[in-house]
Amino acid sequence: MATMRPGLADRELDQELQSHLQLHIDEHVRRGTPPVEARRLALIEAGGLEWAKEAVRDRRGVRWIEQLMRDGQYGLRFLRRSPGFTVAAVLSLALGIGANTAIFSIIDRLMLKPLPISDPQRLAQIFATGDRVNFTNPIWEQYRARPELAESLAAYASADFNMADRGRTDLVKGMWVSGRFFDVFGVRPLLGRSLRPSDDQRGGGADGPVAVISEQFWRARLNADPAILGRRLSVEHVTFTVVGVTPAPFFGPSVGTRFDVLVPLATEALIRGKQSALDRRSSWWLRVVARLRPDQSVEQLSAAVAAAQPEIRLATLPGDWSVKELPKYLEQPAHAVGAARGGQSYFRSQYRDALMAVMVVVAFVLLIACVNIANLLLARADARAHELSVRLALGASRARLVRQLLVESSLLSLAGGGLALLFAGWSSRVLVAQLSTWGDPIDIDLTLDWRVLGFTAAVAAGMTLLFGLAPALRATRVEAADALRERGRSARGHARWGVASALLVMQVALCLALVVAAGLFARTFTSLAGRPLGFDASHLLTVTLSMPPSDQRDNAARLDRYQRARDAIVSVPGVRQAALSVLTPFSNFQWQSVIDKNDAPSLSEERREYWVNAVGPGWFETVGTARHAGQDVSAATTAKGPADVVVNDAFVRQLLPGRNPIGQLLHDAGDPGTPGDARTIVGVVGDALYDSIRDEAPATMYLPIEKMGLPATEIVLNIRMADDPPASVATDLATAISAATPELSFSFRPMVEQVSARLVRERTVALLSTFFGALALLLAGLGLFGVVSYSVGRRRTEIGIRLALGARPSSVVRLIGTRVAVLVGGGLVAGLALSWWAAKFAGALLFGLTPTDPATFVGAACVLGLVGLAAAAIPAIRASRTDAASVLREG
Amino acid sequence: MGGKTDVWQGTLALMVLKTLEAMGPQHGYGIARRIEQTSGHRITLNYGTLYPALLKLEQEGAVTAEWGTSENNRKAKFYALTKDGRKQIARASREWAATTAIIERFMSPQQS
Repeated sequence: MATMRPGLADRELDQELQSHLQLHIDEHVRRGTPPVEARRLALIEAGGLEWAKEAVRDRRGVRWIEQLMRDGQYGLRFLRRSPGFTVAAVLSLALGIGANTAIFSIIDRLMLKPLPISDPQRLAQIFATGDRVNFTNPIWEQYRARPELAESLAAYASADFNMADRGRTDLVKGMWVSGRFFDVFGVRPLLGRSLRPSDDQRGGGADGPVAVISEQFWRARLNADPAILGRRLSVEHVTFTVVGVTPAPFFGPSVGTRFDVLVPLATEALIRGKQSALDRRSSWWLRVVARLRPDQSVEQLSAAVAAAQPEIRLATLPGDWSVKELPKYLEQPAHAVGAARGGQSYFRSQYRDALMAVMVVVAFVLLIACVNIANLLLARADARAHELSVRLALGASRARLVRQLLVESSLLSLAGGGLALLFAGWSSRVLVAQLSTWGDPIDIDLTLDWRVLGFTAAVAAGMTLLFGLAPALRATRVEAADALRERGRSARGHARWGVASALLVMQVALCLALVVAAGLFARTFTSLAGRPLGFDASHLLTVTLSMPPSDQRDNAARLDRYQRARDAIVSVPGVRQAALSVLTPFSNFQWQSVIDKNDAPSLSEERREYWVNAVGPGWFETVGTARHAGQDVSAATTAKGPADVVVNDAFVRQLLPGRNPIGQLLHDAGDPGTPGDARTIVGVVGDALYDSIRDEAPATMYLPIEKMGLPATEIVLNIRMADDPPASVATDLATAISAATPELSFSFRPMVEQVSARLVRERTVALLSTFFGALALLLAGLGLFGVVSYSVGRRRTEIGIRLALGARPSSVVRLIGTRVAVLVGGGLVAGLALSWWAAKFAGALLFGLTPTDPATFVGAACVLGLVGLAAAAIPAIRASRTDAASVLREG
Repeated sequence: MGGKTDVWQGTLALMVLKTLEAMGPQHGYGIARRIEQTSGHRITLNYGTLYPALLKLEQEGAVTAEWGTSENNRKAKFYALTKDGRKQIARASREWAATTAIIERFMSPQQS
């Protein structure tokens, strides 16, 4: 029966019913009933035309459902009968789709999903110029004075706020926001009120300094205090009153972070005091966003902003830019960009490329899974060729059979997709946890939502079609004549092995490439992690001491306070040594200088560059840098005269090659016109890494801490702990510092964490590639297992005959094994070639290895070979145990 | 199987097929009339009962349908029995006879 399009079928039905009615009316008229009456009678007997049409339509629909259900049952029965195939296919799908879903959900949250605010399409971010998003406050105030630019404008900046009054710092994530922030983002407070322009005054508004906290902060840190409104909080030593709580779904303008406390922008003056940036024309720290008017487009806003730019810049000319640079300031073109997905986010820029690259890798893995399934499906279709050809001969339509095979594939996809969701949920959480570091935790909501479900469903459906359709079409192309040849279970030729073999070889090749990548990245990470630092990071605790902003002391007096803190903690049980320094390795601080040309006339300016740190006495011993010659940095230094400094071996090699450094007098290059400081080298120490974990240790000079020359608002106390410090050591230290110097704030950080934070990218890449390499191995193993199982299954008769004729089981294993070995071997060769070619691209990411490191390649090939061996061994050994007698009976 | 509708639809299908067997190709009106007559006017068929049944028979391949012209020159869709349809009649008749015979033994007084 030809199926008609529904519209056509409906029209035909209508015609048919009308014709029936007409025939009935004719009958009545023939009997003498008047036409009108005849029509009425006929309609009554018809019993409702619309209802009749509905009933027929239902019948049409039911038909499809009946067939589908029958196909489904049939499919389930088949899948149950071949558990090996089913498990292999479902697992492959689950792993492949799951990995893609995991990466997608992270990419979606970080980059694609619009902000959870009302009408995110109306949100735009203003750029100061090009790709720079930061503004100065004077410029912002100019924007604020031009409300006609958009419906509302707001500025914000993120910062860590110390909520502790004194002593150990208690940092939370905070933001300074301007008065109309809540309007721009369309956020309604959960409790209380939002911040308003009237609060955004330098000394606080009518209610004094007020703050709004997030729901998470309220619940987690303040125990969902019912009396939260009106409660006072200490933010950076300033008392704020809580006036509102924002609802949980709103996490702020940046994807990947959440805020805890919002305070008005103008209160920055209260918090930073003399160091306030509110009037600094060269401090670029604010971001500006706008909500478009209903009739306004982003382009219009962009144009308006660009038009206002020259005026704004003129009004905010900074005083400390050189005359040459001023025109640049005036000309920087501002523009606006849609920000429905949040503005430029730190995480987005950090991880975008990495995540995209990972998506490509993971697609690779999915490809391998696809190859698996294609192979399995081909093998299965092959095995059913006889059954299918019989059905074709009996008159079943090819479309019908293809549909049935597709239903089976869909069942597999459904099962695989469901498992994939579970796997994705787990692995995306693990991945984000790995990417988060101590200082930059990534905070995104990874709960399942429709977008992720949709993605998974789409991938699963796509795979069903892609890898169910081709084998289905192929299988049903079987000529009906085949069925008449009474093949039964006789051994078949290997005609269809060609495609399957090719797919297997491709799979092994892809898998090898991934395993090689995993090997290279894992070894890179371990070499970096094991790299000698030049100091001993274990048991080294760094404590950052800070003066409160209101402090008025001069540098010398401050240093004295810091020394007092140091002296106080030396006697705490568990502390072996302590010393002060201006900075620590890998703290993102770089202090560089240049030696005066006259002191090293033969060297270029580049070679005269060196790095600087200022340390107190005993620092080298504390951090574990070896002293090679001369003296340590001394405690007391005369105010005048050259400073006594210590340099490292690299410094000597670079700047004083071949000379005895002790006693050498050097001068800093200084500013043009003014002579630089004089220095006398009194000691040499071993090389230590400064800020880069990959580069060699740079030439470094260590000044005595009194000569650091910078305002001493912060200093680092380096503490070497005993091997087994008492559990209370952290509290003891805190108590000691607070007792000796109660005005100081301090925060602890173990040095090992600081170092490992540097390795996040390498660690993540190593982790991911190892994970996906393992996944690829698993999939390849599964695929091999599945295909070999099937081929063995088809050859049961042949094997049974061989065994019956006296062949030894080991020869059966060899028979099967040789074929597999050839395929896997071919795949390895192809894979080695692929890896050789692809490795070039990874060069920059590696450390201590060439991209074509032979040991890694050989190792990867061996691992894959072993996996292949294991995967093929199981069905091969099972085959050799075939009960010959029962097989022959069946044939 | 087992609802009242299923049984009813099954017997209606048989009636339609038997009608076509006796009358040759016929349109829906003709089939309905004939069934009513044969049942001694104890059955009346409305369109909502008849046409889904005809569609099901067509889907199963027991009948084919083609547009043609009726006796009084009206356009109508004619249904004709197929080979499968005849087989279905034969099978259904056998089953029906067997069922009737068994029930008969229960209904009539005890006989050996």
